[in-house]
Amino acid sequence: MKLTIEHVSKQYRDNAWALRDFNLELRPGVLGLLGPNGAGKTTLMSVLSTITRATQGRVLWNDIDLAQNPDAIRSVLGYLPQDFGVYPNLNAVEFLEYLAAVKGLDAATSSRRIDELLNLVNLNDVRKRPLGGYSGGMKQRIGIAQALLNDPQLLIVDEPTAGLDPEERVRFRNLLSELSGERVVILSTHIVSDVEATATDIALISGGTLVAHAAPEELLQQVEGKVWEGVVPSNELQSIKQQYLISGTARRADGVHVRMLAPTGLSGAQPLAPTLEDAYLYCLNAHRAGAAA
Amino acid sequence: MKVRVLYHLVRADFLERVRRYNFLVTLAFAVYLGYCAATGKIVVRLDEYRGVFNSAWVGCAMTLVASLFLSLIGFYVVKGSIQRDQETRVGRILASTPMSKSFYTTAKMISNFAVLASMVAVMGVAAIVMQFLKAEDPHVHLWPLLSPFFLFALPSVAFTGAVAIFFESIPGLRGGIGNVVYFFVWTALLAVPISSIDANGQLHPGNYFSDFNGIVSVMGQMQQDLRAVAPNYKSGSSLTIGDTKTTKKFLWNGLRPTPALYLSRLTTLFAAVIIALIAALFFHRFDPAQEWQLRKSRPAPANAAKAAANGFANAAAPVAALASAALLTPLPKSKSSAFTLPRTVAAEVKLMLKGHRWWWYEVAAGLFIASVASPLEASRGGVAVAALLWPVLVWSQMGTREARFNTASLIFSCERSLVRQLPAVWIGGFLVAAATNGGLALRLLIAHDRDALLAWLACTLFIPSLALALGIWSGTGKVFEAVYTVWWYIGPAHHLRGLDFLGASPESAEPVRYLIMTAILIGAAYLGRRSKLAYA
Repeated sequence: MKLTIEHVSKQYRDNAWALRDFNLELRPGVLGLLGPNGAGKTTLMSVLSTITRATQGRVLWNDIDLAQNPDAIRSVLGYLPQDFGVYPNLNAVEFLEYLAAVKGLDAATSSRRIDELLNLVNLNDVRKRPLGGYSGGMKQRIGIAQALLNDPQLLIVDEPTAGLDPEERVRFRNLLSELSGERVVILSTHIVSDVEATATDIALISGGTLVAHAAPEELLQQVEGKVWEGVVPSNELQSIKQQYLISGTARRADGVHVRMLAPTGLSGAQPLAPTLEDAYLYCLNAHRAGAAA
Repeated sequence: MKVRVLYHLVRADFLERVRRYNFLVTLAFAVYLGYCAATGKIVVRLDEYRGVFNSAWVGCAMTLVASLFLSLIGFYVVKGSIQRDQETRVGRILASTPMSKSFYTTAKMISNFAVLASMVAVMGVAAIVMQFLKAEDPHVHLWPLLSPFFLFALPSVAFTGAVAIFFESIPGLRGGIGNVVYFFVWTALLAVPISSIDANGQLHPGNYFSDFNGIVSVMGQMQQDLRAVAPNYKSGSSLTIGDTKTTKKFLWNGLRPTPALYLSRLTTLFAAVIIALIAALFFHRFDPAQEWQLRKSRPAPANAAKAAANGFANAAAPVAALASAALLTPLPKSKSSAFTLPRTVAAEVKLMLKGHRWWWYEVAAGLFIASVASPLEASRGGVAVAALLWPVLVWSQMGTREARFNTASLIFSCERSLVRQLPAVWIGGFLVAAATNGGLALRLLIAHDRDALLAWLACTLFIPSLALALGIWSGTGKVFEAVYTVWWYIGPAHHLRGLDFLGASPESAEPVRYLIMTAILIGAAYLGRRSKLAYA
């Protein structure tokens, strides 16, 4: 099971490049695709899910070119788009039955699967309520359920935790981790904590290009010994921000506690164990500095 | 300050519309209307007479074309501006400002007017071109050429824009029903001033005030002037498409503006503003509670009501321990079935028919029974014609649902969606047509009328094909609702040969023509959907 992305670029009609020469090879596991807003994450998801065509490059599923045989990927694909709608007059069961039919699942299989999925996403009690009356988080859970209808080998979820309450978010993270065993899961998000909890691999994307692709531990290794916490007076905070890459601040009685990324900290600063958020900021900042140079 | 706010509200709405692809299509339509008038495909005629193509005649003739067509088509072009604010969520932002409801509906009316006025402007340019092309009078006089547009076309489109806002504000008229109802309202508004002219064909000042698009006012003056120079003229007048041969010409020197005429046009403008203000009384101000109430006034199912009463407590209950992928039964390798078309069709039919109130089904059933029970002629010519209009809102969803409900990415990323889902939609539409108009088929079977049965079959195949093709290519149900209603009214309802797709009478039935059109439309639908997919 292998998904290969080779030199993929995508240019929109206004001549803006959303992706540039993007390369990646994925094996079973959860890939956390991290990047700022507008980095090209959703465009990459759309290309992989066959919704849009790459301007250059190719995508292969088990060495089958998506352009030659898009159904090779569609038949194993579960896709949760960032922005999707539902049919408001249908209830959850009817909506999932409809999509199961469109996906080509037989009646008996889909019926059992829908029951299980509604339990899984915790919507069993409202399964007969028209979707038009669902909250944003409940619609998101229906989206998660439809993505899992066909037991996909390739699961692409774009900002899946948007609109979910903290409890449902934890549930979904757990679910993703469990699902990852025998399938390729791509989790696109800008929420680092979602990736931290689930990803076996991380790809950082910025400006349509791949900034880094590594295991979380490797990314953390890059900022080992570069994270500091110092205390500064409030009136010095602005000048500190101009000198250092700041990943967090907290106002306390003794001043502002500043979490900074730098080879050496302020005088008196204490070294800290890095988090994935530190690594994310550090890599993006280094990439931007390199691009500017 | 208020004027500035109004200006920006109208400007933003106008720019949003004119930067859409649809607006180019709209302008192209205006250019086409101008072209038809300039090349004699649409002609103002008074029996066998027409005016010499001087500035006065060309200006008024082109104004009549603009007023007549834009007051009908323009409604469908501009209706949807409130809905767009709702879909883009901009409406909620606007609702949180101090702006009043009447201010908003008035701004929307002005924005509608601006869009339609740009189409009128295109027609104005076409009028100048037309006079040069016809070259019967080389002297272009701008005032008689263009003033009719200001006097008649602009108030007419302002009125149309206001009615569009009014329809959008009324819950029952906001959707497809409103699109169908407007056609009949427009027909009635056209008929009122015509019926108020006295038996001698004389135009009285009072006639101007019932004439919202100015057609009777302009034609009435043309007729009066022709009568003065041609005693044999029998007072007929028409705006003719296609059959445009006229044998006689007369010199018409233009409108005789009277205080009543000016006042009537101001009244039309005033009426437009009043309609926009009345619309504000019904406008929901993007209140989601009201919106949902309006969409779903039927009672919720028992278990849903229970869940609602609990504030979805159960749905949000801390049952994290249950959330496990271990709950999912692995699917067999051959989980994808090649024989899912019947299930997909059933799902599509369910999707089409869900959401209608109980009385919708009762009327459909009543029409079915009446078709079977009526005498053959009445069944074929009257009841079946009514039965053909009833499901128009079901068909108008075809090909547009994915865009309307933003489900395209879910459906188009599925395996073989083009060959699995698209045929299912078409078959679903066909089944709806066959079921709602099936009473006639039974009646024809009983009467052993094979020719009429063939016409019925052609009609039943043709309607969903038209709906699907128009839906896919336009992306909105409005186009089908407008085109189909007008076509239904002219063709089946008036048994007009060439346009009678039902074959409501033996003389007007042309099943082969509609079978050929069905094939073309299915091909168009397929190509349209295919063009929207990254990979077919």
